[in-house]
Amino acid sequence: MNPLVHSFRREARRLLASPWDLAMVTWVPLLAVLLMGWIFSAGLPRHLPVGVLDDDHSALSRQVVRMLDATPGLQVVQHYANSAEAERALRSVEVYAVVTLPRDFARTVKEGRTAQVTLLHNAQLGTHSGVLQRDVRAVVGTLSAGIEMAARNKRGEPARAVRVSIEPIHTQLVALFNVSTNYEQFLGAALIPALLHILAMTAGAWAVGRELRDRTLGEWLGAGGGVLRTGSALVGKLALPWASITLVALLALTGITWGRGWHPPGNLAWVAAGLALLMAVSVAAGAALAGITRSLRTALSGAGFFAAPAFAFSGVAFPLAGMPASARAWAEAMPYTHYIRLQIEQLQMGAPLRTSVSTVVALMAATAVLLLACTLALQVARRKPESWGGR
Amino acid sequence: MHKRYETSAEPSTLWSAWLQAMATIGRDKGVLLLLVAAPVLYGFFYPWFYADEVLTRVPVAVVDMDRSSLSRQITRFAEANPRIEVRLVTASEREAQEALWRGEVEGYALIPPNLKRSAVRGEEASVRVEGNGAYALLNKAVQYGFAEAVGTVSAGIEIRKLQAAGQSAQQAAASRNPVQLQMVALFNPTEGYGSFVVPAVALLILQQTLLMGAAMLTGTWVEAGRHRARARTWLGRLLALCTLGWASGLFYFGWIFVLHDYPRGGNPLGALALLACYVPAIAALGALIGLWVGNRERALQVLLFTTLPIAFMAGFSWPVEALPEPLQWLRWLLPSTSGVQASLRLNQLGAPLAAALPQLCALVALCAACTVALLAWARPGPGQPG
Repeated sequence: MNPLVHSFRREARRLLASPWDLAMVTWVPLLAVLLMGWIFSAGLPRHLPVGVLDDDHSALSRQVVRMLDATPGLQVVQHYANSAEAERALRSVEVYAVVTLPRDFARTVKEGRTAQVTLLHNAQLGTHSGVLQRDVRAVVGTLSAGIEMAARNKRGEPARAVRVSIEPIHTQLVALFNVSTNYEQFLGAALIPALLHILAMTAGAWAVGRELRDRTLGEWLGAGGGVLRTGSALVGKLALPWASITLVALLALTGITWGRGWHPPGNLAWVAAGLALLMAVSVAAGAALAGITRSLRTALSGAGFFAAPAFAFSGVAFPLAGMPASARAWAEAMPYTHYIRLQIEQLQMGAPLRTSVSTVVALMAATAVLLLACTLALQVARRKPESWGGR
Repeated sequence: MHKRYETSAEPSTLWSAWLQAMATIGRDKGVLLLLVAAPVLYGFFYPWFYADEVLTRVPVAVVDMDRSSLSRQITRFAEANPRIEVRLVTASEREAQEALWRGEVEGYALIPPNLKRSAVRGEEASVRVEGNGAYALLNKAVQYGFAEAVGTVSAGIEIRKLQAAGQSAQQAAASRNPVQLQMVALFNPTEGYGSFVVPAVALLILQQTLLMGAAMLTGTWVEAGRHRARARTWLGRLLALCTLGWASGLFYFGWIFVLHDYPRGGNPLGALALLACYVPAIAALGALIGLWVGNRERALQVLLFTTLPIAFMAGFSWPVEALPEPLQWLRWLLPSTSGVQASLRLNQLGAPLAAALPQLCALVALCAACTVALLAWARPGPGQPG
């Protein structure tokens, strides 16, 4: 029989016989993806708890508090009598930030001098403090502009002229590509492929590593045969886990875009192709780790080492440009880094297809190289039955 | 027969049970790799990527369609801004867009034609800043960088106008901006990314390596039928796992945080109390998982991918308030949820122990529940297969 078909059927029987193995390429990935989507389903953090230290107790300071509370990103949950109380609340993370309004706040404004609002934010929680800085900045900006506009109107300047002369050159800030800064589309969409990347590499390592651990390598690959025969058997073996996880990946991609009413500007089919290839690279890399180390356990540890931090070093959360050159070289050697750039180009930036072509070609080449490396390693391992069975 | 062998081999004191378990771990390369090598390796590997902490000189473009003295002034101020680095000045937005797609720049400012004329005549003039919203940190640097540059130029114009209208320079500045916002970054004054992420991830690394090590070791015992043992034997085994877990914990809290100069040392005794509760909870949970999967390698297969969802439920990179309600409760079943939050309070913020007491209590409860379940499940009872 054709070694590819033979190996494919053998793997199918093996998966059906082991509920654990079947689960790890079917419903476990599916549930993991759903969990990830669920975590980010809110899209935007809302109602982050904030405290207020109002030393002024004026109508104006109360207006600031009302404006803060009306901002969807935060909610005022505590009022403090003094700075010691505020500090204690910040230190024990009862609130993520404290807004302080100084004594004579209203009088300073009335006298035409600059009054200061201070935001003390917990920068040890980067995401939280980022959201709060943006929202409080907006509130204070609105307040300040309102006061100035009122003052000038009082002086008799016409409203339109006032708006222009407040800010002769207006800066219009546009966040291209992620207009609402929706985290579901930004983080959720990036984390789901990262999660499946780990699961696919685990599946590749498991499929090949198990034959070595159980000393069934000879049974799987047969007695003789060259590189071509072994390679075919390898492809036949990896086909099912790859197809199953890729199916989950494509379902997830469709779900998080169309399913959530998000119609990305770029080419979704191209992202789907890239995702299928990322899964192929991952499965092949796991298989290669198992073939080269000849140990299922070592291959799994390796898969964890390469795949688990892939998201953290991919440039999504912290840009590649901010990394030291050596660390950046590592990040750029990881397939996920390239896939996620393609995904962002197509889903967020709406870049023309030609910018994303090279990534697809590179992922294909990497898959081929890893499959070849695994095949050669298996050829060597096959001739050394005494090295099988390592735990 | 098997059972008799097991009971006769069981150690008679907790000390000898601990010694026996330590010897087993010492002979097991796979478990040693997870419990000793992995924490050390990750302690250097993870912070490596964030060594520079703060993003500076993000490449940007200026699309100058005005080509006036004012537009050149804006470009000069942008060039002087430390957040951004002007790599391209062009008259074509298309060219800037292409550079953005190729990843050569991360955003651009668009100066429209007739900017100077509008500004001089007192008509509305606006500079559009387009940052790459797909990358949050880059976007922030581009927008703030340009906003500061344009704002400085704009303020110059307005203050000159107000001065021309008879106000003093100081009055003019105040009337331009009646209420100012001062933002003070507490606990992480430079707002460094590594300082924010690595101390929290350290707790995740501790959990995942110990969880996998404990589960792998237990899975191996199940395969050999050695998992059915008396409470004393199991306590010795858990203590042996804890010994290595505590060593890794001290390595992170006492050395890695210092080495990379992360915010630390707020409440050293509190941090020790945290380790005392955190590590045993993980060891017991890991052993329980190992008992459940009952296979040496399965533990790795099942646990590897969990790091990602666990990280985003721990409440440091994604606010708890944004999690769905059921997850806000379910996440307490993971030691990392309490561990990350307590470590943040005790190590980075220097809060008193009382502030982390709910988390420590959750860890003790989790540890007790897991240990009881473990001992009940692995009991060498009569009539049970040994």
